[in-house]
Amino acid sequence: MAKTILIVDDSASLRQVVSIALKGAGYDVVEARDGQDALTKLNGQRIHLIISDVNMPNMDGISFVREAKQLPAYKFTPVIMLTTESQESKMAEGKAAGAKAWVVKPFQPAQMLDAVSKLIAP
Amino acid sequence: MNLDQALPVFIEEGRALLQEMEEGLLGLEQTPDDPDILNAIFRAAHTIKGSAGLFGLDGIVSFTHVVENVLDRMRAGEILTQPDLTNLLLQSCDEISVLIDAAAAGSESDVDPTSNGVGLLHRLRAYLETSDASSDAGHLPAKAPPPVEVCGEAAVSGDCWRIVVDFGENVLRNGFDPASFIRYLCNLGEIVHLATKTERLPPAELMDPESCYLGFEIDFRSAADKQTIENVFEFVREDCHIRITPPPAFAEVAIERIEALKAEADKVGEILIEADAVTPREIEEALALQNEIDARTQRHPPMGEILVQEGMLQQPVVEAALEKQKKIRDAKIGESRFIRVDSGKLDQLINQVGELVIAGATASLLAQRTNDSELQEALSTILRLVEEVRGGALQLRMVQIGETFNRFNRIVRDVSKELGKDIELQISGAETELDKTVVEKIGDPLTHLVRNAIDHGIESTDRRVAAGKPAKGTVRLNAYHESSSIVIEVTDDGGGLNRDKILSKAIERGLVNAGQNLSEQEIYNLIFEPGFSTADTISNLSGRGVGMDVVRRNIEALRGMVEINSRQGQGSTVRIRLPLTLAIIDGFLVSVAGCSYVIPLEVVSECVELDEREQRHGCYVNLRGEVLPILNLREHFKIHGQTSRRQNIVVTHFGGQKAGLLVDELMGEFQTVIKPLGKLFGKVRGVSGFTILGSGEVALILDVLSLIQYAAGLEAQKAA
Repeated sequence: MAKTILIVDDSASLRQVVSIALKGAGYDVVEARDGQDALTKLNGQRIHLIISDVNMPNMDGISFVREAKQLPAYKFTPVIMLTTESQESKMAEGKAAGAKAWVVKPFQPAQMLDAVSKLIAP
Repeated sequence: MNLDQALPVFIEEGRALLQEMEEGLLGLEQTPDDPDILNAIFRAAHTIKGSAGLFGLDGIVSFTHVVENVLDRMRAGEILTQPDLTNLLLQSCDEISVLIDAAAAGSESDVDPTSNGVGLLHRLRAYLETSDASSDAGHLPAKAPPPVEVCGEAAVSGDCWRIVVDFGENVLRNGFDPASFIRYLCNLGEIVHLATKTERLPPAELMDPESCYLGFEIDFRSAADKQTIENVFEFVREDCHIRITPPPAFAEVAIERIEALKAEADKVGEILIEADAVTPREIEEALALQNEIDARTQRHPPMGEILVQEGMLQQPVVEAALEKQKKIRDAKIGESRFIRVDSGKLDQLINQVGELVIAGATASLLAQRTNDSELQEALSTILRLVEEVRGGALQLRMVQIGETFNRFNRIVRDVSKELGKDIELQISGAETELDKTVVEKIGDPLTHLVRNAIDHGIESTDRRVAAGKPAKGTVRLNAYHESSSIVIEVTDDGGGLNRDKILSKAIERGLVNAGQNLSEQEIYNLIFEPGFSTADTISNLSGRGVGMDVVRRNIEALRGMVEINSRQGQGSTVRIRLPLTLAIIDGFLVSVAGCSYVIPLEVVSECVELDEREQRHGCYVNLRGEVLPILNLREHFKIHGQTSRRQNIVVTHFGGQKAGLLVDELMGEFQTVIKPLGKLFGKVRGVSGFTILGSGEVALILDVLSLIQYAAGLEAQKAA
């Protein structure tokens, strides 16, 4: 069975592009538009990898990751943080929260695939 | 991008490098397996290959590549220097030289090795194969153990990266799966061998199931660069210990890149990063280690040492980087120490300076007429400066003769080997400077002389031993300055010239008469006569009777002289005397009926007044009891005008003979710039060029040798 990836970003277009790329590589994809939305998506299904933006309305990425990591089912789930070059402090915060992998925005779909495939196979 | 312009630079550089290789290889015969020499040879081959690659000269690249591989093995001590191999490599140098010549001739991209080259390649590869077999044998035991759970060291096979990664305890907690990184690695290449490191596994009771204790040793075959491989572990890098050791083949590539680098950076680390030999992270790590060691032991280990110790890099790469660092620093210090200049530009400069000298002389002449002492003084200062400028400009064309001399190492080696003689070449005075044009033209005559010395001069080993001499013969090349000429000597410690044999041969050939009374010197110099050879057998090298007279003709064409001294049983010395430069002449100014002529000073031996009382007997005068043939320039050049009351004879000597030139006035020594005659006068005999005097008057420079020969020819015709 294909592995499922949760992509959390407030930009629908970004979600779509990443989703197309990942699906093309054989993953299943679940989308969420912010942290709140994402937490609800974690329930009721098995998510193998989380990709999350940092700045989002309602609940930002760091808070979301921190909460997700508290859930027993997601303690060992890899998290990729979408960061920008200028967000050094955010990146450290994200790492502390449990997002140990990252992709720097802006990125090409291939770069995202690359990062994902280092962590899980489809 | 058009590289044609740069091609001549490559050709020149390539030839110089070949020369270096050759010298190095010859040096190996003295001190076999000397690492410095081996390195120098290797580098030369390496640079040739690298540059040839830039120009797409694939024939040179592929040939040199094999040569380089063999040299690399020699350098690594895997093959020992042996005469066969040195010979083979010398022949390979010749082959590369042929290829470079072909490239120079314009057949650029499709220079293929000649059939000779293919044979050489075959023989060279033989050296590579045997070594391959032995090193493979060395690797065998390492391949035998099972692929998983290998303890201890597995050998790095030739083209593999060695990645050692110890995953940190938190890797699993962070959501990472070590296996996924290993799997990802397969996207970049092939995992040839993988061993799990289990030494960190604690006893079962102490084991935390959430912690990671695993490490892997991976032999990885990939074309990816180091940074790419390192990036695979990007996410886990912080709590992992990773060592990526490049494959041995990578060293070669890295060295090439380092050498090709146009870097400003003069730190070893920066150079290595720029050449992609190490990653910035590795340097950071090494710097941290460096500081740590420094703090702990008060010793500041060099960066290169740490990199090699930590297995991030091989020693040769570090060495290449250090050398580059030195080069960059040197370049920074002495950026203007050497400049390559088109020799045409120098010629033009010298020509212009020559004009300046003449214009200065004209100005000074005019100033003298004005009686304005201040003007004269100012002009004399200018003239002095112009003289200095001229000296400086001529100095620019001066090159050391050493390079020409060094070529003979090879000739002496080859010729003596061919003849089965044991001969050593000694070189001295290599730093003596002379004009580049002279250097270029002296090569051929010198080759003749050196070959003659080896072939005829030095006796066979048996005869040497029998004569109580050392078995090893010596040929010596020496150069030194004497007044305004350079003297080059070719000396051998052979049997010397056989005076009687020369004399009888000369008489047989009709060069001298049986009754003629000749000094020792004169007899020896007979060997420079056309058609003279005393060698009983004609060898491959000399003995055809051409040679010595050609040598003399070549040297005289350079306004030089050649003579030979010899002592029976002790050897002979050929001494060549050449002007330092061809652009300038030390002349002797004379005038005939108001016209000025310059006679090259080196052929002038004395001047005497024509004694009116002692009337001439036709074309001869009595010079202190010697018969001196004389040539009347007035008659010869058909100059009309008053014969002056007193006439002078300039006694000239050339090729061991003397002749007098009858002129009106002697005006003294005169240094001047030679100007070639135009095409129209190209065939005029007896005149080699002209110069312009301060007064603006043109003075012809006499070619005394051809002048006398011409006159003698006319005389003979008249007599007949």
